[in-house]
Amino acid sequence: MEDDPVNRSATLDAPLSLAGAGEAREDTVDRVRALDRFLAGVERRALRIARMALRDPAEAEDAVQDAMIRLVRHYGRRPEGEWRPLFYRILGNRITDLQRRHRVRRAVFAFWSGGGEARAPDPLEAAIDPRGRPDEAIEGEELLARIATALASLSRRQREAFLLRNFEGLDIAQSAVAMGCSEGSVKTHYFRAMQALEEALPECRT
Amino acid sequence: MQDMNERMRELERRSRAAFDASVDSTDGATRSRLARARATATGGLKRRRIAGPAAWVPAGAAAAALAAAILWQREAADPPGVPATTAVAVEDLDIVTGGEDFDLLAEDADFVVWAAAESAGAG
Repeated sequence: MEDDPVNRSATLDAPLSLAGAGEAREDTVDRVRALDRFLAGVERRALRIARMALRDPAEAEDAVQDAMIRLVRHYGRRPEGEWRPLFYRILGNRITDLQRRHRVRRAVFAFWSGGGEARAPDPLEAAIDPRGRPDEAIEGEELLARIATALASLSRRQREAFLLRNFEGLDIAQSAVAMGCSEGSVKTHYFRAMQALEEALPECRT
Repeated sequence: MQDMNERMRELERRSRAAFDASVDSTDGATRSRLARARATATGGLKRRRIAGPAAWVPAGAAAAALAAAILWQREAADPPGVPATTAVAVEDLDIVTGGEDFDLLAEDADFVVWAAAESAGAG
């Protein structure tokens, strides 16, 4: 399974560690330091992306920590250049799992509460009209909140493509690894995402 | 009128700027939690690394002391000139000081204490 670094269920039997002595131990120490540097470099962006996707700060932090642990344990031996797309692949899978769990919870809640749309009111959505104020230029957190709302209406793949390419700055090849699809698919999803966002955010046309 | 590509580029630019600003404004408490999460992630490796030879020294000293205690108890319990028990004790010493078992020793001190007591009782 180690040859399938993007398989969510992969459980690798050769975690980084366990250097016996000397050279190998030095290598492990260097790896730990490199991993620490890498994680320090991506953690805040990853958390922001997880928050946008999950809309739950605590769950977002859990997802990021889980991704950190999995990357270190299962992929720490991989070349350093592979860590970033792998990390986002792990994080993306974790986010998808949590979102799926939310959907199931909502469905169960809807059933027990007498049916109907059980979607809990989202304070972000309630506060912001994603298509509002087209004549006004918006920036900063407000723009980000509107983007988050608009992203929620996209398909998962389009959302991932946008977040990875535009926010995290992964190139096409890295995004393909992170999303587990072809580079052509990344381009398509990204373009569709941009089209939809451009349509949903007229205030950004100015 | 902007064409589609220009509008998209503008959206990319503005959304990325908003995102970067948001990341830069991460509060101290959140940064601290992230640092702890990172330490937890990499700490697993550090703990495993402790199983390396350098970390065996204190475990080895403890094991040697334990083995000495076992030998001393056996010596006290056995009449002089009964080498068989001593041979068993030396065997115990080999087991206790065997490098491959040090991980277990480090992780399960209760077991080692129990095993020592059992061994002394059996003598």
